Amino acid sequence: MLAKHRGDAVAVCALGMAANEWWAATKSEDSFYMHGAMGFAASFALGLALSLPKVPVWLINADGSLCMNLGCLLTEASQAARNLKHFVVDNGVYQTVGGLPMVNEARTDYVAIARGAGFARARSIQELDDLERQLPGIAAEDGPSFTVLRVEPESDFLRTPPMTYEGPEMKYRFGRALERRFGIEVFGPQGY
Amino acid sequence: MDVTEAIHGELTKCGVKLAASLPDDWVAPLIQRIAADNRIRHVRVAREAEAVAICSGAFFGGVRAVALMGATGLLTCTGELATLNLRHQIPVFLIVSQRGSIDDHRIYQEVQGRRTIPLLQAYDFPYHVIDRPDEIASIPDAFEACRLQKRPFVLFLTRRLVKGSAAA
Repeated sequence: MLAKHRGDAVAVCALGMAANEWWAATKSEDSFYMHGAMGFAASFALGLALSLPKVPVWLINADGSLCMNLGCLLTEASQAARNLKHFVVDNGVYQTVGGLPMVNEARTDYVAIARGAGFARARSIQELDDLERQLPGIAAEDGPSFTVLRVEPESDFLRTPPMTYEGPEMKYRFGRALERRFGIEVFGPQGY
Repeated sequence: MDVTEAIHGELTKCGVKLAASLPDDWVAPLIQRIAADNRIRHVRVAREAEAVAICSGAFFGGVRAVALMGATGLLTCTGELATLNLRHQIPVFLIVSQRGSIDDHRIYQEVQGRRTIPLLQAYDFPYHVIDRPDEIASIPDAFEACRLQKRPFVLFLTRRLVKGSAAA
């Protein structure tokens, strides 16, 4: 559903199932799939959004990653990047490592935290038809916005496989894709 | 020209357009100077690893960036530097106070003084120390070395450089 409505947005995905599912749905090379630095896809997306202010940047975050770097919400809110949309896939568990429950065990209101951090636009969506109805408006509104997508955990371990490339190849595929799309120079004349 | 003005000038020569920072008292004057420059987007962060990831995202936007922090902050983000920057070979240029030196008489900095450089060596993160004002002109070379080596590069500022020779 998110992929269907992304339009021209560049995506940054938190490590784990958020990245795997986005790859499965889009096969897009103009998306960055975090493999480490858990919690910091949000900060990476902010840096990208500030550097390309005319390009919509969608952060596909996860609840485990958000909890590892809740301070990102303060920074995002204060920077007020109009082109940044923050989505949190909230399944209440650490899916990638076998579905173990999160520290907060569903007691936490992430929307209230985002509002408290300074987000004017924050909401939670629990039903697929509600998501379908709201996504065009979310895509069109000014950022920064914060949208929690409440989903059910998967029962299987690592059901969706990761993308088929990694490490430096991820860097070069993503950087070259952005160079082609936006006419920017990520790498210098000698390729680094 | 004072030290912060000179460093700021060299960063401008490097083409730096974004700075992400969390201060300690040695780098605070430099951060304040950069924050006052409307040609550089300044991002105040809540944790040093945010600065690392913000600069990494900026790299892919074609924007030259610098992360500024204290040595203690550098220690907090070695995991992110390893699993994001080392793993993907993403350059990130960090300006860090070299705390815990023999003229830094702060008890809470002594471990940083003894273990920070061995830690960088263990990760194979290059670094360069600026100890005197006439060495500030080496910043563009350090910045280029960071891009060329495609990994975290730490530019240390000593106490003698930023606070003068009298220890306190």
